[in-house]
Amino acid sequence: MPIKLRSLLGAALGAAVLACGTASAQQNVNFWYHVDNAENTKLMDELVKTFEAKNPNIKIKAENVPWNNYFDKLFISIAGGKAPDVAVTRLALQPQLLEMDAIEPITKQLAAWPGKADLANNLLEINKATNGEYYYMPLQYVAIYLYYRTDLFAKYNLKPPATCEDFLEAAKKLTLPASANGGTELYGFGMRGGKGGHDNWGPFVLSQTSFAPDALTSPKAVAANSWYIDLLRKHKVAPPSASNDGFNEIISAFKSGRTAMIFHHIGSAKGMTEALGDKVSAVPVPSCGGGRWTYFGDESTTMFKTSKVKEASWKWMSFLGESENNLKFNEATGQLTVTKSGALKVPHPARFVKATMDSLAFAKPMPLVPQTADFVSTVWPTNMQRALNGEISSAQMMDAIDKHFNAK
Amino acid sequence: MSQKSPTSMLPYVLLSPAVLATVIVVFYPMVQAVITSLYSNILWRPRAVRFIGLDNYIAIWNDPVFWASLGRTAIWIGLTVPLQLLLGLVTALLLNQTFRWRGLARSLILIPWALPSVVIGLMWSWIYNPQVGLLNDLMLRLGLLQSAVPWLANPDTSLYAIIAALVWQGFPFFAIMILAGLQNIPHSLYEAADIDGASDWQQFWHITLPSLKAVLVTAVMLRIIWVANSIDVIYVMTGGGPGYATHTLPLYALKRTYASMDFGYGSALAVSFSLLLLGAIYLYLRRVGKTIE
Repeated sequence: MPIKLRSLLGAALGAAVLACGTASAQQNVNFWYHVDNAENTKLMDELVKTFEAKNPNIKIKAENVPWNNYFDKLFISIAGGKAPDVAVTRLALQPQLLEMDAIEPITKQLAAWPGKADLANNLLEINKATNGEYYYMPLQYVAIYLYYRTDLFAKYNLKPPATCEDFLEAAKKLTLPASANGGTELYGFGMRGGKGGHDNWGPFVLSQTSFAPDALTSPKAVAANSWYIDLLRKHKVAPPSASNDGFNEIISAFKSGRTAMIFHHIGSAKGMTEALGDKVSAVPVPSCGGGRWTYFGDESTTMFKTSKVKEASWKWMSFLGESENNLKFNEATGQLTVTKSGALKVPHPARFVKATMDSLAFAKPMPLVPQTADFVSTVWPTNMQRALNGEISSAQMMDAIDKHFNAK
Repeated sequence: MSQKSPTSMLPYVLLSPAVLATVIVVFYPMVQAVITSLYSNILWRPRAVRFIGLDNYIAIWNDPVFWASLGRTAIWIGLTVPLQLLLGLVTALLLNQTFRWRGLARSLILIPWALPSVVIGLMWSWIYNPQVGLLNDLMLRLGLLQSAVPWLANPDTSLYAIIAALVWQGFPFFAIMILAGLQNIPHSLYEAADIDGASDWQQFWHITLPSLKAVLVTAVMLRIIWVANSIDVIYVMTGGGPGYATHTLPLYALKRTYASMDFGYGSALAVSFSLLLLGAIYLYLRRVGKTIE
């Protein structure tokens, strides 16, 4: 009896020690991400569950941070010393994050990671920092392409535009008063003049210039910018609200049949086909003045220096980069997977995947300099809107952008 | 002395939690903002933070966007508050009459005030939409317009369009405050005036308005402060655009701070605006507040 009691006590003590042991080894990883549709956080919860089942000592606290101030919040949390362990971020922000000395290199971990060979094309190289280290684990990517209404193009005997000139011609033909379009006013081009519209403007202007000093103010670049402004001011092929229109406005106008062409990426393909069925398709952006440029939008996970659970954080980052898991993450965001094996199983209609793939040859990220973030959020929208409303000239707008990137 | 001290200390002891909370929550951030405004402090350049004295303020003085935003802030307050007051006064006078569905009307009137600003911003931006918006549709049908107007995309109309939305949002506050004031006016005053043969207008001018004075002065002051600082509706409807057309000073400070991450300049803008607002409220109370006891 006493022996039994003793062994029971021993077992209980052992269990308690074990419990304490696991409790102290338990690691919490704070993870920030964003999805456009809050419904899709369920998919993320499933991913977390799968991961935690495989790694019982690690708890993932995944937080869906609203997109509108995702990066403000991230930067402030870093400055306040409260950064998450891992967050989804973009290449364009890497220079600022490095300047803040906020992120942790993962070069060694990547070299030893078996999943590396499955990563598509040169995604890792694109994400490599100027100091030669890797900080970003690719998560998903998109390229801006042109959505167009196949039925309207067929009706007016038009081909999807391959050049600027084709684009203008199609936009003119597809700008119709309500009386000529079954009671709904139609505009050829759903121009995005508000925040985020730099990737609509890029194919027309950045195809003919670059961000190098004085390149933006060259006569060719200024003329390209005037051409873009004229789409609204002279040819009136965009809705009069264009200078204020953002993502929601251009998407809803296109879906409701009020515009015939818009620029966006595969992230909206699902919603487009739900609304318009096979009346919508996509092609790469037109080439202008002999050049071609479209926006390469990337998202990666990165680890913060302040993290106290770096090993667990890396496990989570690499988990999200594996074929099946990555596909599931992309299902939540609607963007494209980064693995070769996953690309074969992408759920999007083939025409949108093809338009994205065909765009990769000339798709480029925004310049990898600290000024880019402010260019996107403030400098471009403010100057574009003023130019679209005739407050400043095309040259003044290009001059302001050149100064922003190349002052001092 | 030793006998007196417990009672003389008591008020301070009782007040100290409130004072302490104010010091921590309000005073400390204020001092911090003033200090930050004296630095060149761009959030993503933590190694380049340095003391620059009044340079941010000198830059503000030479910043055309600051002056334009200040002008728009004056229009913003100068139109919104009086229009809300006027609409609120008329509504309160109507709601003070006896009629059948008065209780229901009094609760319905509160709806705009109770709605979150983001909802109001989104709702009104769709109302103003040139392609699918209600306002253009109505005006086109009534023949008031020849073609749809992009109210929010046109720099000449955008600020006024937002002001209209904000007037709609804020007038119930005045209506309810004034209604409460109206119910405190003794009925005997009106009876006496009736006997003396005063017209409705004379009764309003000589009894109602003077009796409401204290309520109006306080309500207007509160509204000036709230409207001046209110940026949520603008942010949702235009984000300050097109261009700078709907930038008010607090919005400009917010954008410089959080979009451009320039905390030094943004703080200097916020401090400058707070001082200007403080000055305006001081003048207002000196001129208007003096007349009430």
